[in-house]
Formats: sequence, structure tokens, C-alpha cells
Amino acid sequence: MNYRTLTYDKIGETIYEYEHKTGMKVLFVKKTGYNKKTAMFGTNYGSMDSVFEVRGKEIHVPDGIAHFLEHKLFEQEDGNMLDKFTSLGASPNAFTSFSQTVYYFSCTDLFEENFRMLLDYVQKPWLTDENVEKEKGIIGQEIRMYEDNADWRVFFNLLDCLYVKHPVKIEIAGTIDSISKINKELLYDCYNTFYTPSNMAVVVVGDFEPESIFSIVDEMIHFKNAGKVEKKYPDEPEEINMEYKEQKLAVSMPLFNMGVKDNARVTGFELLKRRIALGIALYHTMGRSSDLYSRLYEERLINDSFQFDVSLNKSYGYLSWGGQSPDPKKTAGIISEAINEIKSKGIVQEAFDRIKKSQEGMFIRSLNSVDNIARELMDSYFNDTNYFDVGKAYEQVDIDYTNSVFREVFENRTALAVINPL
Amino acid sequence: MGMHSDKTTAEKLAEKNGIVFYRINSDKFKTSRADVFFVDNLSKERASGNAILPLMMKRGCKSYPTVKELESKLEELYGADINAGVSKKGELQFIGFHMSHISDRYTNGERLFEQCSDLLMCMFENPLIEEDGFKESLFRQERDNMVDYIRSKVNDKIRFSLTRCIEEMCVDEPFSIPEDGTEEDVLLLNPKNTLAIYQEMVKTYPAYVYISGEVDDKSIQRFIDSFMASVDRQKIKKINQTNVYKEVKEVRRIDEPMDVSQGKLCMGFRTFVEPTSDEYYPLVVYNGILGGDPHSKLFRNVREKASLAYYAQSVLEKYKGLMLIMSGIEAENRSKAEDIILEQVEAMKKGDIEKEDIEAALKSLETGMKTMQDNQGAIVDFFLSQHLTESGEDFNSMTEKLRAVTLDDIVRVAQKVQLDTIYFLKPDGSRSKEEVV
Repeated sequence: MNYRTLTYDKIGETIYEYEHKTGMKVLFVKKTGYNKKTAMFGTNYGSMDSVFEVRGKEIHVPDGIAHFLEHKLFEQEDGNMLDKFTSLGASPNAFTSFSQTVYYFSCTDLFEENFRMLLDYVQKPWLTDENVEKEKGIIGQEIRMYEDNADWRVFFNLLDCLYVKHPVKIEIAGTIDSISKINKELLYDCYNTFYTPSNMAVVVVGDFEPESIFSIVDEMIHFKNAGKVEKKYPDEPEEINMEYKEQKLAVSMPLFNMGVKDNARVTGFELLKRRIALGIALYHTMGRSSDLYSRLYEERLINDSFQFDVSLNKSYGYLSWGGQSPDPKKTAGIISEAINEIKSKGIVQEAFDRIKKSQEGMFIRSLNSVDNIARELMDSYFNDTNYFDVGKAYEQVDIDYTNSVFREVFENRTALAVINPL
Repeated sequence: MGMHSDKTTAEKLAEKNGIVFYRINSDKFKTSRADVFFVDNLSKERASGNAILPLMMKRGCKSYPTVKELESKLEELYGADINAGVSKKGELQFIGFHMSHISDRYTNGERLFEQCSDLLMCMFENPLIEEDGFKESLFRQERDNMVDYIRSKVNDKIRFSLTRCIEEMCVDEPFSIPEDGTEEDVLLLNPKNTLAIYQEMVKTYPAYVYISGEVDDKSIQRFIDSFMASVDRQKIKKINQTNVYKEVKEVRRIDEPMDVSQGKLCMGFRTFVEPTSDEYYPLVVYNGILGGDPHSKLFRNVREKASLAYYAQSVLEKYKGLMLIMSGIEAENRSKAEDIILEQVEAMKKGDIEKEDIEAALKSLETGMKTMQDNQGAIVDFFLSQHLTESGEDFNSMTEKLRAVTLDDIVRVAQKVQLDTIYFLKPDGSRSKEEVV
């Protein structure tokens, strides 16, 4: 069998990449000594793919439909797939993100049976008017659960501040109102458009030989659709949508999320480098070893809940940070000052080296988890990057590059979302 | 498919002054770690004092007196991690200190275990103290943080309803005390009385220490020799057994209104099964069949058949012998959901259980036992549980005991289970159903 390999030398682990005859890629990482085996079958289709062409006509589908379809694929003519996987001792699940829908299971035994089932059911939607209606009750309760989740609400309010048009701001599960408009026909339109080999990938992580995986894929993959997917996203202005958004919920103390858009659209190796550099710069600015963190913590403007994140994808990117604070506006002001100071002074070499060493250590640490490796492989593939190039990217990121991307991103205005107590 | 069946074991290395040292044998991980647990009886008087100790220690130590210095040092050590916190298992409280770092294989020859474990020891042997108490300015900040943290528990409505159900259900028992105590208890703490609790911890609480990953014998021996070497540990505190017996006189109903969209139902049951009894294993299988995974009765009936909820599940509290069933529902579906849940509990008592249900639950439990061995932290937690109950089980023997469970065993346990408290976090109506925020 023909497959490519990419080895991360420092760690001694290898990605095996196989191309099925339909063009669909299969990625595999061997984890010697691990009991757990994980397989994922995913499509590069998520909550932000709401406008696309069907039979030559542009359609706009209801918010939350990708997630709705994810729920429905588990239901098959001869029963519920969740049930079948658990009967074989596997634990099945799926998730829908802004840009992906991924079906997966993990198990320790009977991998082959479970893997065949996964590859089979994702190619076989079984939708009826009745089962689509029934799902509205379940998803409705999922939506209601998120309505009460302050962390989730403040995060989406920030995205709403940052983005004017980009559909990344759309709620992943939609709303009670939007899902009421979903029907069987629309779901099939989405399925037929986005569940095609060129838009999908299979990822497997576990302790076995690569050929055994690839031959099962050969046997099980038989897509009828082969069309190329054309995705349409509106041109997002460089400016933000609004500076501030506030909501009230039953929380004990205000909660804030602050962020900035990254307007540069990069992909491949450049994306990896940019993520690493922005990660180091953000860590330097507000990580636990920063002056800013100590100041805010000691003034009790933030607490242990404070977090930050770099989220770069080939079609959108943002940096965000936040947590609980008795005075989000004051906190945001102090953070903005610190950002401006680092923008003008730049990061010092000693801190840069130390943080880079630490971040690379964290990356190596993350390779302890089979599930994490599988998720990252899928995400990297859909962003046209190679996960094990991260090591090489760390070597290439230097202080000048880091200072320059940090300055570039913070040329943009930041936005602030706040949840206040009732 | 490849096979790898090396046993994951915990080897006892030493025992001195109420401290037991274990080494976890498993070499597949990219990290090494040391976990230290001090144990106390869960009590209203001491819970908050014990809980503030890890917060104080995370602020630094004699060699690294500020967070900035401490964190910078950890960054230099390839992003090593030091963490601390409290938890409870039954009516015992654990104060845990955890250190982990990447294996020396990836550090160009730099050896991390000794440096990292010295840092860990510095944190709990030489905390930031002035005169006869913890450093006051830091103490005030952490005490206020703790109050904020306790208040913020209401933010997570699912966890909050679970905690409230347990508090109401075990109102006269120590188990009702949260792992970090209550706001009023926190406010009684001061630098002086907290330092006294700290000294009791290091001098009298029994301790368990676990070392995992690629650590050489010499470094381990050095760690054992120096661990608390300067502390006088003559009198070790006696740890109580958690009581699992309490008669249920009548089922209590607690409704708590709040401005939320979705109602959270939490039903508390007593199983009267001790973690060391033979009935523990049938209880675990029972819980799996009733509400453990998507094959379970609760998932199938509450979610898939009736479309009432996104989640419906049951969980066990092993040490206190409790089972809690949770589901998020519309307020108007509350009695319907309760009826369906209680029908499933009844069906279990009548032995209305298919052979496939038992097999599915067993397979899922076996998978759980195996995958736990792929997580360094989970392995430590597993062995801590065994050492605590002096059960002597390992992953393989425990899997064998689960496999030996029969339908009769499950029904016998099912018939002991009694509903005690129904808690409902009830939408107060101020958020209308149509409102989309």
C-alpha cells in the first residue's frame, strides 16, 4: 500500500497519510502501549456554512442545521448508532464546531467492528419527517441548556462584537426558532453538498499497524457524491461590529470576554507559525508570569478563572481572554494599556526564550492524549497544515516575527462582552 | 491489531510516619509526575481551613516568593506544572499537591524531576509566613477569592443542582459539607488560625505519595529521604469510615426557583452499599444499565423515546453509597420526566433487564477500566481509591469482579436502592419560552 509518512523527530512519533481512490485522506498515528483507540470520520462543514449552492441555485439554510444533521446521522433504519457502539463497549460521540462536523468513537477492544460501523453509518443518512420532528425536542433542550451557560453566552457575545458578517458568530446549535424551520429535504441538501470525499477525512490513533486501517477504509468507502465543495463566506470588514455587549444572567459576579480579530488569512505552515507566535506574545502579555497578571490578580480584578486563547483558522481568526471580574471595564482598560506597552517596547529576549521553551513543553505534554492527537490531526488537515510540523514551526518562530505579528493584530480594535448578575 | 497488556501497578516503596510512597509502573507517557495527598476527616470546623492551604501555597514559597518568580521558574523547566487543590471522597477531605513535567528524553539532557520535586516540596514545606501567621496581604486576597469562588458555584447550573441536592439530602451528615467549606466558615479564617491548620496538616494528617513516569531510582530515593524530613510526625490522625446507612423516612422535595431557561432535576437515592462490600460491583453494573451511557434505560427512555431532555444520566458517589440522577428539562415536563425516571428505577427492581443490557454495561465498564490506564492522573486517582479502602484491587482484578456479576446480584442491589430527595432548580418564569437572547 502507498502512504506518506511524516515523523516528528524529537518525539519519535509518525503520522501515516493515505489517500483513498476517491481522493479522501486517512491520517493515522500509532501510539505504542496505549489501550485506547480512537477513530474519527469528519467533514469540513460546520455551523458557519449556511450559504451554498444546490443545483445551481444559492440557498440560505437555517442556523444550527449542521449540528442538527450531526444528531440525525446517529439514527439509522435499523436502530440508534449510539446504542450499537455502546453494545460493543465503544464510546461514541460527535461534535459540530464552526467549520467541522466530526463523528468518532473510542474503544479498547473490537476496534475493527466499530471502525466499520463508523465508516458505514456516516455514509448512510436515514431521515424521515417523524424522526426529524422528534429531534427538535432534544436539541431544543440542548439550546436551553446553553442559554443558561454564562461562559458560553459571553463567548458568543464577544464573537458578535468582533464580527460584522462572518457566520462564525452564528450559534452552533441555532435557536429554538431557527431549528423549527429545519426539515428532511434541507438536511439532505446539506448532506449531499458537504459529505463528499474531497471535503472529508478519516483519522485513527492507537496501537496497531497502519495497513490494517487503510485496507478497511478501502473496503468501506463508497461515496456516490464526488462533487467539489464551493464554500461561500461574506467578505468580513476589517472593523469590528461593536465595541461592547452586555447581558444579564443568574451569576454571582460579572464575567467578561475580551478579544481582537486577526484579519490576516493564512494557511499551511504560515498558520502554524502565526499561531505559535501569537500564543507566545499573548502568554507574555497576560500569562501567569506576566506583570499584568500579577497586578490584576493582586488588585483582585481577576481570579483563577482568567484564561486566554489564540484561535486561528484558515477562514477566521481571533485572540480572546477573560474570566470573572468585579469590574470588567476597568480590567479591560488596564489590559489595553499593557498591550499597548508591549506593542511599543516589544518582548524581551529572555522572556521570549523562556516562554517558547515552556509552550513547546506543553505541546509535547499534549501528546499524552489519544483523543487530543486525533482532534488536532483532523483540525490540522482541514486547515491545510500538518500537525507534526509544529516542532519545525517552533524552530522557525523568532522574536522579531513574534513582535511583528503581535503589533499587526493589535492594530485592530478590541471588543468587550460582559455578563452581569441580575 | 496490536496487543499490549502490560499490567499497570502501584508498587509500595516505603512507609514512614504515616506517609506511604508508591511508584506507578507505566512507561508510555511523555510526562513524569509526583502527587501528594494529605487526608482529613471532612468537618465543618476544618473544611475551609484545609481548602485555603493550596491557594496560599500556590502564591509562592521561600525560594520563589512571588507568583511571577514561581511561574517563570516553571516555564524554564519546559512548562512544568504545579497545582494544588482539595477534593472529597465520601466524608474524607483530600488536600492534593501535584507536579508534572515532560520526560528527560525531550530536554536535551536536562534532568527535571529533582528540580521540579524540590519546587513542590518548597511550596508545602516553606510557605510564605510572617511572624505567627501566613503573610497577611496574600492571605486576605486568597480568602476573598475563596468567598468569590464559593459564590460562583451558582454559575454552573448542572453542578449547582447536584451539589444542592446532596446538601439537602445529607443535611445532618458530614457529607453535606462542600469540599471547600462554606462562606461563613471561610470568614472565620485568619492568618494565624490557618497557619495552625497548616501545621496540623504537615504534622498529623496521613499522606499518600505517588511517583509516575520515567524517574530513576536514585531520584526517587532522594525524594523519599527528603520528603518532610524536618517535620516531627509522631502522632498521626485517625481517619473515620464514611457511614452509608441512614434510614429514609419520607421522600423530600426541594424546589428552588431561579431566573433560568431550563429546569434542572436532580434525584438523590441511597444505595446502602459500602465501597468495600461484595455488593459494590453489582452496584456499578446496576448504575451502568440504568443511566451510565447511551445504551442505558434513562438515555433511551427520557431522551430518545420521550424527547424530553438532552441529557439524562445517573452517577454514583462510591464512598457515601449515593446514586444521583440528573436531567435538564422544561419546567412543564417535570412530572412526566420524574415518572419516566422512576419507572426505570422500578424496572430495575423487578429484574426487567435484558441480557444485552448487562453485556453492554459490562463492556462499557471494561473499556473505562482500560482507558483509565492511558491517563497518568486517572491511574493515580484509581490507586488512591484502592489504598484508601485498603481493597488491594488492581485494574485487572477489578475488571474480573465486574465480569462475575450476575442478574440476581444486580436485582438484589436494585431492591436496596431508595429514593431520598428530589431537587428541582425551577425556572421562575421571568425568562419567557420564546425569548432568544
